[in-house]
Amino acid sequence: MKENMNPADTKFHEVLRTARPSPSLPPRFQENVWRRIEDAEAPAKSGSWLDAFAALVLRPRFAYATVATLVLAGVLLGTYQGAQTAKQNEQARYVALVAPNPLR
Amino acid sequence: MNRSLVILLGALALGAAVFTGSYLVSQRACLMTRSADDLSWLRDEFHLGDAEMARVRQLHEGYMPQCAKMCALLAAKKGEVQAALAGGTNITAEAQKKLTELGELRAQCQAQMLQHFIIVSQAMPPEQGRRYLAEMKQLTLGSHEEIEQSMSDHAGHEHGTN
Repeated sequence: MKENMNPADTKFHEVLRTARPSPSLPPRFQENVWRRIEDAEAPAKSGSWLDAFAALVLRPRFAYATVATLVLAGVLLGTYQGAQTAKQNEQARYVALVAPNPLR
Repeated sequence: MNRSLVILLGALALGAAVFTGSYLVSQRACLMTRSADDLSWLRDEFHLGDAEMARVRQLHEGYMPQCAKMCALLAAKKGEVQAALAGGTNITAEAQKKLTELGELRAQCQAQMLQHFIIVSQAMPPEQGRRYLAEMKQLTLGSHEEIEQSMSDHAGHEHGTN
């Protein structure tokens, strides 16, 4: 690029640089630049455990798995409780038939 | 409010709704699919086959008119007791007689009921029959035993304090 430059331009840039001297870099400038580049390339990290958990909850795989687990647990528990209640109702109905309250 | 907190609370509410919905639907479905037969409890609880159920059903249908008759007698006798007790502050000889008759009739009904349970238990496989008889005694006479037990406990405490 520099080779393609007009010699007059090169001279002009030289004059410009000497006219406006660049300020000295802050200490550990290069190290800080690299650290910021690494941070930018790294996966986004949440600020707190709450943010991390919220990010986990929003992941589709996690959400589908949780919903499936909750539906399964609800169905199993509901079926078990329904069977128990039905059994108690049937027992009460039979007992009420063969042993009405006045006989007990 | 913090965005993450809102997301988590929303997810929690959604999860609770999903769980509750599936629980209620399956419970209702389970209740609706049960048999309307009065003897279905016997079939399921005591694992009775078709032949045993037919015999138990026959016994049940034979017992029900007797049971209804005894209940009617009991209701009539209770009415007599109420009439004898009405308006008085003391228990008259007539009321005492009616109470005794009511007690005797109730004992007669209970004996008939227990006899039915014994016959039904004999129509079941031996182990199931024993279990049925024990459970029916507990369900029908257990409350009396509990009351009597609590009364005797109470009396014991009373004697103990004297």
